Amino acid sequence: MTQTLDSYVMLSALLFAIGFFGVLLRRNTLVIYMSLELMLVASTLALVAFSHFNDTIDGDVFVFFILTVAAAEVAVGLAIIVALFRMRQTVLVNQLDALKH
Amino acid sequence: MPSDPQTLAHGIAASARDFDLCLDLAAAILLAPLASAAAITLFLRRRGGAAALISTAAAAAVAAGALWLAFAGERFTGSKEWLRLGDFAVSIGFKYDGLAALMLSVVGVVGLCVHVFSLGYMAEDASKARYFGGLSVFMFSMIGIVLADNLFMMFIFWELVGFSSYVLINHWHERPAASAAAKKAFIVNRVGDFGFLLGILMCYGLQGTVNLGELAQKAAAGHLAYSRAIPLLLFCGAVGKSAQLPLQVWLPDAMEGPTPVSALIHAATMVAAGIYMLCRIHVLMVPCALEVILWVGTLTALYAALCAVTQSDIKKVLAYSTLSQLGYMVAAFGLGSLDGKASGVGAAMFHLTTHAFFKGLLFLAAGSVIHGCHHEQDIFRMGGLRRRMPLTFATFTIGVAAIIGMPFLAGFYSKDAILYLAFENNGAVFAVLAFTVALTAFYMVRVWKIAFLGEARGEAAAHAHEGGPALGWPLAVLAALSVVGGYRSLYPRSFEEVWSLVPEASGAAQGIILATSVAALLLGAGAALGLYRSAEAESAEDALRRRAPGVFGALVMLKESFDAAYGYYVAKIQQRFAMVLNFLDIVGLAGVVVRGAAGVAEMGGLGARALHTGRLSTYVYWFLGGVVVLWVLAAGIL
Repeated sequence: MTQTLDSYVMLSALLFAIGFFGVLLRRNTLVIYMSLELMLVASTLALVAFSHFNDTIDGDVFVFFILTVAAAEVAVGLAIIVALFRMRQTVLVNQLDALKH
Repeated sequence: MPSDPQTLAHGIAASARDFDLCLDLAAAILLAPLASAAAITLFLRRRGGAAALISTAAAAAVAAGALWLAFAGERFTGSKEWLRLGDFAVSIGFKYDGLAALMLSVVGVVGLCVHVFSLGYMAEDASKARYFGGLSVFMFSMIGIVLADNLFMMFIFWELVGFSSYVLINHWHERPAASAAAKKAFIVNRVGDFGFLLGILMCYGLQGTVNLGELAQKAAAGHLAYSRAIPLLLFCGAVGKSAQLPLQVWLPDAMEGPTPVSALIHAATMVAAGIYMLCRIHVLMVPCALEVILWVGTLTALYAALCAVTQSDIKKVLAYSTLSQLGYMVAAFGLGSLDGKASGVGAAMFHLTTHAFFKGLLFLAAGSVIHGCHHEQDIFRMGGLRRRMPLTFATFTIGVAAIIGMPFLAGFYSKDAILYLAFENNGAVFAVLAFTVALTAFYMVRVWKIAFLGEARGEAAAHAHEGGPALGWPLAVLAALSVVGGYRSLYPRSFEEVWSLVPEASGAAQGIILATSVAALLLGAGAALGLYRSAEAESAEDALRRRAPGVFGALVMLKESFDAAYGYYVAKIQQRFAMVLNFLDIVGLAGVVVRGAAGVAEMGGLGARALHTGRLSTYVYWFLGGVVVLWVLAAGIL
């Protein structure tokens, strides 16, 4: 069964949309964080697909950088969430509204 | 105009050292009262005795210096640049000529008399230091006017005398009347000074200079631009300061100040500054401006004399008489020249000098009466002071005789000079002034008779007493000057420059003038003696009011008409105009502009605040919106 570029891009867009609406609608910071990662991965998938179908490695190189940055970002972000929970006893974003006017 | 500060000196036949000496002395005369005022304000506010001595010492130094300069006979000018703005330079300088010599001597001598009198009169006052500080500031500013060599410098000191007058009228500031009078004097003077300032600016713009010496040189060379507005605007300053119609209303009220202040500032010197200023700028005069000045002076002389007839406050009578005499001087100036000489200047300055002596004397004698009667000022509660206050009686009598023009006293000569000038130049003015002579005799003899003759009509008058040597000596000195002040040959030679301008009647004119003035004098004095002959029988009522209530009422109404007119103007016109402006301010400025701008900003703030919810999802929506906008812009759809 041959897969076309379209189906890869569609899958990538679907994953991105799921991640986006997860960020938009979920209240738990950890879930939001996972949704963010999903969006990153969706874009990575699109890049790999483009790279494969165009016979270049530009997209693959991008993927390496994105994964590296994402790993670093996860380390920092999770640490922040843990620190936040220690301080406020909650990770629900609707309760984290200290910046409200 | 030299760019670096430079001193110029020139004059008649004398070495450069003498000029420097005279210039330094003039500067010392100017600065001595300032130093005294500064010392009193900075160090002696609670030590009235020391303040009085320092101020009097400064006045004595001024008098001595002024007389020394007058007798030395030098004339000098010197000036220093003070301020430069582009092409425009303001300089501080002295112009000491015959006119300045005469005025400086008058200010010095009368000033010293008033300072000495104040030592006695104000001995018990709680804020003596402020009083003497004010006197010193006044002396400083008055000398500045006298010596000023340009109109800008004169204006600066002109405002300073206004300030010191305000301070001294307001001396008893806990009295509402005194504080109201001080404000009135200040505000009314401001009206005149506005015209004065406009005149100075216009003079600078049109003639290119405000230096008195340069103006005189230009006039001599015939280079002066013709202008009616300049002399009339400058005259506005004199109208305010010398209390001429229609700005005369402040002077009678200014009598709320201590009596020595009335003598010095509101009779002898400051109010005469207007006439002095006119004489300083007489080269700028043109015939139709002189015509206006002449009639303003003549009407003031008549109006004030009519008002004086009904007054029962001894100081108010003298105040109206001062107005009337100032009107004489202004009229004399307005009469202009005779036989090619500036006779108006001579006659006005001659009368200014003799008036300073006898009016200073009359006010100080009135002060002595008020002091002796424990601050009773109503002449109908006095009476019989002749026996209890013999020195005051004698000197007041001399003053009255001098002001009504009794032959061989000071006022006789100066008044006749003015009458002669009027006789030659303008018949109508002559008639009005001669009638005013009769009125002057009437009201002065009235006051004299009611206050000093007959029997005491009040408790205070029954126990009146003389006030001691500090009050006595100045009276004696001024009385002597009021007797001999009319003999011009007795004055220092340096006044000859002014005296040579005084018109002298001769032949038939002399006889007419003499007959007129003596007849007017006898008529007025006789009427007063006849009307008030039974003064002791009438307790506290004016005989004129009893015998001719119609005339009396009309005169009172005349006196009050100006205050009523100004009151009407302020209450009905100015106040309403102010209310309209206030309404426009509240609705337009405060409402639309200020509240409007604030409202727009507030609406913006409200909107911006609504975006700021603190919810993460909201920010993500904004983020999404931002990305969409960026994409739309980047794609070139918009």
